[in-house]
Amino acid sequence: MSTENLADMEIRPTIGKGSLTDYRYREGNNRLGLWLFIISDSFVFAGLLISRYYLLGFNYHPDVNQILGIAVTVMLVISSYFMFRAETLMKFGDIRGFTRNALVTMILGALFLIGVVGVEWQIAPAGPNDGAVWSLFYTMTGFHAFHVFTGLILLFVVWRKARMGKYNADRHWGVEAAAVYWHFVDVVWFFFYPALYLIGRPII
Amino acid sequence: MEDEKKQALRLGTNIILFLLALTVVEFFIGAYLKIWWAGIILLIVSTTKSVFVVRDYMHVRRLFVGEEERH
Repeated sequence: MSTENLADMEIRPTIGKGSLTDYRYREGNNRLGLWLFIISDSFVFAGLLISRYYLLGFNYHPDVNQILGIAVTVMLVISSYFMFRAETLMKFGDIRGFTRNALVTMILGALFLIGVVGVEWQIAPAGPNDGAVWSLFYTMTGFHAFHVFTGLILLFVVWRKARMGKYNADRHWGVEAAAVYWHFVDVVWFFFYPALYLIGRPII
Repeated sequence: MEDEKKQALRLGTNIILFLLALTVVEFFIGAYLKIWWAGIILLIVSTTKSVFVVRDYMHVRRLFVGEEERH
């Protein structure tokens, strides 16, 4: 066997089902799929945002509770931080650190949901049937809240699997997927928050 | 390994502080700056926040890194 062939054998990974190389290969494909889903989902959110700017421009926003708005926004942003910590700790094999931080993320996410759906929707001066603006307000917050809700389910599944010892530092694609999805929901709110609460004057 | 972990967590902390600061700035711009182009500033702030989250929290670069570079 020539030295050229030997070198070739050394750099070529052994691909077998269940091997780490195989896991990385599938992880790469899963990652691509997740990002494609996120990009396509972004178009739906972008459509809702365009509708909002078409209806109200930069002059008005729905007459909503400002204090509640900033409170739920801060909660969601902080939840993203704990999700980042959870994923980072998992990457370094700290399962207990992951479960603790993921739990805080879930609590903050649940508080966000309660703040928007349980409080904001109840105290808003108009309902979803009171014209296009309010209809759009409920659609935007409702669609986003649904994403937060599904993110919470995904996080709970991942949290439970981590407690059962299904993940480790090398194999934790589920954790990464849940984290990326959660941060995406946060990014969407970065655009929804000013659009619904801040830009322009309140319109009733 | 421990240093690497601390460094990664520190980056996350710096970013969250930056995001929270921008959120507060956003709130005050929305509350007190009643001019039409305040909306443009708010959109720029939102985009800035998003860039940091997509880059550092969502690790978008992992999409473009080959397996040989990761391991």
